[in-house]
Amino acid sequence: MIGALTAGLLILLSLSIPVGVVLFLLGFGVSEFFSAFPLMRGLGQMAWSAMNSATLIAVPLFVLLGEILVRGGVATRTYAALDKWVSWLPGGLVHANIGTATMFSATSGSSVATAATVATVAMPQAEKLGYDPRLFSGAIAAGGTLGIMIPPSINLIVYGFLTETSIPQLFVAGLLPGLILAFAFSLVTVLLCRWRPSLGGERRVYSLRQMLRALADLLPVILLFVVVVGAIYAGIATPTEAAAVGVAAAFLIAAAFGGVSLTMMRQSLLGTMRITAMIMLVVTGAAFLNFTLAAAGLGRDLSAFMDGLGLTPLSTLLVIVAIYIVLGFFIETLSLMVVTIPIMVPIVVGLGYDKVWFGIVMIVLVEMALITPPVGLNLYVVQGARGSGTLHEVMVGAIPFVLVMLFMVAALIAVPGLALFLPSLL
Amino acid sequence: MDAALAALIKLNRGVALLAGVALVLCALFILADIALRRVGSSFGGTDEISGYVMAGLTAWGFGFALTERAHVRIDLLRDRLVSPLRAALDLLAMVALAYVALVMAVRGWPVLAKTIANNARANTVLETPLVIPQSVWFAGLVWFALMAAAMVLIGALFLLRGEIKKTEAAIGPPGEAP
Repeated sequence: MIGALTAGLLILLSLSIPVGVVLFLLGFGVSEFFSAFPLMRGLGQMAWSAMNSATLIAVPLFVLLGEILVRGGVATRTYAALDKWVSWLPGGLVHANIGTATMFSATSGSSVATAATVATVAMPQAEKLGYDPRLFSGAIAAGGTLGIMIPPSINLIVYGFLTETSIPQLFVAGLLPGLILAFAFSLVTVLLCRWRPSLGGERRVYSLRQMLRALADLLPVILLFVVVVGAIYAGIATPTEAAAVGVAAAFLIAAAFGGVSLTMMRQSLLGTMRITAMIMLVVTGAAFLNFTLAAAGLGRDLSAFMDGLGLTPLSTLLVIVAIYIVLGFFIETLSLMVVTIPIMVPIVVGLGYDKVWFGIVMIVLVEMALITPPVGLNLYVVQGARGSGTLHEVMVGAIPFVLVMLFMVAALIAVPGLALFLPSLL
Repeated sequence: MDAALAALIKLNRGVALLAGVALVLCALFILADIALRRVGSSFGGTDEISGYVMAGLTAWGFGFALTERAHVRIDLLRDRLVSPLRAALDLLAMVALAYVALVMAVRGWPVLAKTIANNARANTVLETPLVIPQSVWFAGLVWFALMAAAMVLIGALFLLRGEIKKTEAAIGPPGEAP
């Protein structure tokens, strides 16, 4: 069954059939060929319970939150404000790229929207101030990936939903690795610019007064993040409730900055629906495939398969990491996560690893998929916003950050506490 | 054909806006409940209502994401093919999607039918008659199947007429990420 499933998955995906549809088709196949019971009869009830979910409504709410902030012009202000604070570092504005991408992806959970916004705002500055276009654009693409790690992350909600893992625990677990990655990105930039000063552009130092004035633009967004994530951590609110509060706060911030209009709200709602429906077709398909696989006895098959390989838990884990890296060249974030969860998570849990911990490892791996060619959505988004130069430059610029992510995966495997220390305090 | 396509796209944007407004109303409802809880009261059942809203907006959103060409595909191989083959793959993808949409609608019906037959209510404090949220949900699935069938038809007609560019524009992947 495992062989047929993998082959079917790869063939159907490469025919460019929509990912959600592929998952359903595989589920139909499992029901037809590998199950003693007529599983198809359960499809309706299964789809209703997957879609009728008070947990998953946090997804459109967080998407809407991000859409409002980005379309309301808050991102542009954040970028300008961060520029005042970090441009004295070697690498200057590159840190503002990373910082803005981190903050926005942290509040919205959407990597692509963030990368697109930051690229649009930042790119004109790069030429003017003489930055190396490779490092500059690579940093935007890489910074944008952090959104799916730093809470509130839509990908973590989906992981939690599909694997029945506590979403607050996942959110807490992602915080430290996410922040470490952001700092590591900045550190790498500083080191690179020390080594080759020509990579960075003109460094600018602003007066303390200018920096303090810029705080007015930064604080509301930081406050929003603290309120939303803090309420979840403190156990005051469910992720869904925190998301609703976040939407209201984002609306107020955008309104205070004069960014709210009827057109902007219309576009935010349409954007939210587009992303949500896309995610939900994939998630419903994965939930159905999960259901058929469990009924057809995948667990038994998998343990037989793993016993046959005769690997130690660690080497199995390394093989899994390698599989993700390879698949990541070709398959995009959410799809990669969702299509692999039904098979990979039971294997890893069977080996005795922690589900929360593996969720975080998987997130770093799928983040990498966003910036590894030939299919790396953020690379294309940043290139699209640049309007000059070649895609190749963005790819080269992203390489240092890919290496940082690989180190992060190794660190998480060597020191699981990086992810599990904070949840253990809850 | 172009007019029909444009009309479908516009219609689905309207549907999506309505669903978006439902999402905002749901958020306001949750906020009101949080506020009420602070003074020691509560509507009760916000979770239940949120779930119904999610089911409805997801089912109705599927069709919208379809006409916006937002359902994610892995187009690595597709992009390396010559144009007529690309359009053929687009049509194949759309047929596969329409098949799944149809199966979902067909399999969704017994869920609603059983609810109607038993006059089933939710096993909660609200005792919601499930026929309400499930009708909205089922109608959304039927809408999705109808939209998918329409898109197959439009794509196939463009392809038969040899209007490859238009086929790709109607049912291919989006040109630029939104």
